[in-house]
Amino acid sequence: MPENDRRAARRGSMTRRGALGLFLLPFAGSLSAAPRPLRIVSLDAGLTETLLMLGVRPVAIADREVWEKWVVEPPLPPEIADVGTLLEPNLEFLQQLRPDVILAIPYLDGIKPLLERVAPVTTIGIYTEEGRPYQLAVDATRQLARLVGKEEEGEALIAATEAGFLEIRQQLAPLSARPLYIVNFMDPRNVRVYGRQSLFQDVFDRIGIRNAWTGDTNYWGFATLGLDGLATASDARLAYMEPLPEGAGGTLTESPVWNAMPFVRNRSIMRLPAVLMFGALPSAARFAHELAKAMTGDAAHG
Amino acid sequence: MADDTVAQGGRRAGGIWSRRLSAGQPLGAILLCVVLSAAATTATLSNLAAQLPAALWLDALGTPDVADMRLVLVHYAFLPRLAISLLCGAALGLAGTVLQQVLRNPLASPETVGVSAGAHLALALATLAAPSLLAFGREWVALVGAFVAIVAVVALSWHKRLSPLSVVLAGLVVSLYAGAIGAALIVLRHEWLASLFIWGAGSLGQQDWTTTLWLLPRLAAAVVAIGLMVRPLTLLGLEDEGARSLGLPLGVYRVAGLGAAVALIAFVVAAVGVIGFVGLAAATLARIGGARRLGQRLLMAPLVGAVLLWAADQAVQLATGPQGDLLPTGAITALLGAPLLLWLLPRLALASEAPALTAEHLPRSRRPGLVLAALGLSLIVLVGLALLLGPGPHGWSFAFGDQLQPLLSWRWPRVTAALSAGAMLALAGLMMQRLTGNPMASPEVLGISAGAALGMVLALFLVSDPGRPVQTAAATAGAFAALLVTLTLGRRAAYAPERLLLAGVALTALFDALILVLTATGDPRAMLLLNWLTGSTYGVDVGSALLTSAIALCLFLLAPAFIRWLDMLPLGAPAVQGLGIDLRKTRLAVLLMVAALTAASTLIVGPLTFIGLMAPHLARRLGLARALPQALGAVLAGALIMVAADWIGRTAIFPRQIPAGLVATLIGGPVLMWLLRRR
Repeated sequence: MPENDRRAARRGSMTRRGALGLFLLPFAGSLSAAPRPLRIVSLDAGLTETLLMLGVRPVAIADREVWEKWVVEPPLPPEIADVGTLLEPNLEFLQQLRPDVILAIPYLDGIKPLLERVAPVTTIGIYTEEGRPYQLAVDATRQLARLVGKEEEGEALIAATEAGFLEIRQQLAPLSARPLYIVNFMDPRNVRVYGRQSLFQDVFDRIGIRNAWTGDTNYWGFATLGLDGLATASDARLAYMEPLPEGAGGTLTESPVWNAMPFVRNRSIMRLPAVLMFGALPSAARFAHELAKAMTGDAAHG
Repeated sequence: MADDTVAQGGRRAGGIWSRRLSAGQPLGAILLCVVLSAAATTATLSNLAAQLPAALWLDALGTPDVADMRLVLVHYAFLPRLAISLLCGAALGLAGTVLQQVLRNPLASPETVGVSAGAHLALALATLAAPSLLAFGREWVALVGAFVAIVAVVALSWHKRLSPLSVVLAGLVVSLYAGAIGAALIVLRHEWLASLFIWGAGSLGQQDWTTTLWLLPRLAAAVVAIGLMVRPLTLLGLEDEGARSLGLPLGVYRVAGLGAAVALIAFVVAAVGVIGFVGLAAATLARIGGARRLGQRLLMAPLVGAVLLWAADQAVQLATGPQGDLLPTGAITALLGAPLLLWLLPRLALASEAPALTAEHLPRSRRPGLVLAALGLSLIVLVGLALLLGPGPHGWSFAFGDQLQPLLSWRWPRVTAALSAGAMLALAGLMMQRLTGNPMASPEVLGISAGAALGMVLALFLVSDPGRPVQTAAATAGAFAALLVTLTLGRRAAYAPERLLLAGVALTALFDALILVLTATGDPRAMLLLNWLTGSTYGVDVGSALLTSAIALCLFLLAPAFIRWLDMLPLGAPAVQGLGIDLRKTRLAVLLMVAALTAASTLIVGPLTFIGLMAPHLARRLGLARALPQALGAVLAGALIMVAADWIGRTAIFPRQIPAGLVATLIGGPVLMWLLRRR
């Protein structure tokens, strides 16, 4: 079943029920002058941000708090309801919302039979064993755009994202010689470093930045390792992303290992605001934008 | 009678080893230290050589040139880590020995008496809720947690005069409870994006010398305190009478010795987290190795502990590359230590303890029927509430009419499953308690729950995209595998209850360690696992609800066959055999029934509830003394608690949910402790 979903996602088509919803869409349009907008519940933040960029507001999402801490942009309209956690969205609540479609990801296949009792479920995979999240995010954007009848906006979003990359690529060209680590701090000693199969790697490839981390990653696109594992590349820079875990900020500056790291000694570290690492096109664009801002600001400072 | 047993237990605790070794020098322990040190030295040199050419080793000792990262890493990461492993291993070995001496308990250790878990939980709570407390001093937070834990354990086992088994079981309850609260913190914070167990999974990784320098004076103070008490501590190993006749204020030295040991453990936990089983292993190996007198043990156990942790840590670094931080050494030692405990069990000569249930003088209800009717009525009312009353997008409401049908379709499978699971666990707990004559027995303690959970873990991490049927099958297989291990270990002792329970302790510890290792990798699947472990009834659908209740019904139909045995077993082994009952077969039959009940219910509510422990006590406190009414009462009470827990879990923080198993644990833990405290 998940294999089917993945194949479906790869083709850019959708599951049977999702497709059924689409077939009904033109009818709904032809029957009434102003078609009732689809009531969508989106359980994944990457899909939600894509919908918002297409100008569509889902009725409800999972984990509002996570959004405020990890996604930040685009801001979440206050009227969007919170159905609980990603892994256990409240089914009674969901049912009372009477959604037309529920958007899910392969990670949630375990609860798909339950969700299907509420409404048709469309599973869209961006993070899969294939490990090319950017391309799958483009596919997901098209699929979502078709679902809500906003194909033009979808293509515009894709084009705008690509154009943004191109612009940033030119802007960063003078700075692209040195490789860059992109990390999240887990605690003062350990980091999650993003590499192959991550959204950030795909963005790097498009804006012409070399990733300093060339080692193995899991299929979510990161590896967890001790800080000192980053010491190998001597000319590398490092960008660390918010949010910082409790206590990491304070102790970092005191650690002699941290202070001896090549990128700390030659002051090549940057702090980036939070960007959803498991996001879609809007996260990719936000990442490129924030990175460019930090790198050029850095360069200006000397 | 009770005095006799305790005294006997004490004498055996002093010299428990059936194998007689030469009473002179602890040759075995010295040999062990030499062999392990040789291995550890080889590993250390190899690890060091991988990081830095031998020619530069001397340079790394002084303040290194910051331009050479290799020197910096050796000086500020490799060397302090080496020092920390030696220090912590020695501290834990010493603490284990002092605990064993003070409690006259060959199984006492930082983990088995709940002290490590208490300190760890206190630190986790402080990190999340009040980080400013940590700035004030990590050691104080850890000390408070450790002392609360040891006070709870002592209080829980006081009425059994701190007998070895009751202390270890109370320690397990405290550890389980602390673990449940820890899990609640993670589930409620629902930070699936962030790493899970960042605090103290027992990683020894260092980035400078501050932790070492912090630890050194604190450990030294505790060591000096213990050094001043060697003579009185030696006398504590004697009978109370004997020591008292020498004019020693026993109580004072017991408390002081306990305090020093607990402080040592708290400091280690504050520095590096929980290092599983090193304390127990060091103290025990020193003893096996021929250290008989307390003076020898106080010397050898820290040595063995230091060498053990040093070797383990270097082995971890060999396996994961330099500064392999992400396989926490503390969890690895627990993985190695749990089998050690299993190996030790058949070699321990523990006195069998007096049955507790018969010794207690609790009120007996003259109208058990009335009590049962009241329980039944409450259950019916509660089920009605759980099905009909709940919050929605527009606030709380009673569901009726059109709304009822869709809501019921979500609610009834969960209520049914919770009810069946609670009832089954209660029956399993009652059977365990009657079988062992120990009020602290339950399937959670038997290790069957842990086995079921272990099966589930393997399914999640080894099979790609395991569906619910696969998970269910794996959990069942795990439960029966755990039962098999427990039974194999118990066979030699004719299924003597004490051995089974201790085997359960070891299995649970093994399971905890594995969970730690898996979750420390930060794999998103760990969150799926945690959700299930904490006993969420979220995923229960019609099929599994019907299946669970069908299994429960079948097992309850079998139950009457056991009632006669359950009435007799608490009378103690000699009495039962005197009545012409085959003790081995009876025990085996009861155990199989317990395993089936536990496996079926663990799948629904997870391995962490206290229902099996709590429900029989509730029934007993309500005056239900004979097996049949107590069984009925326990089953009703178990169902009542579980349905209430599920309802609270679904409604308390709507639209989020708290897993039912967790709610049951959070409510049940304190209730249980209070019940056990009261005599």
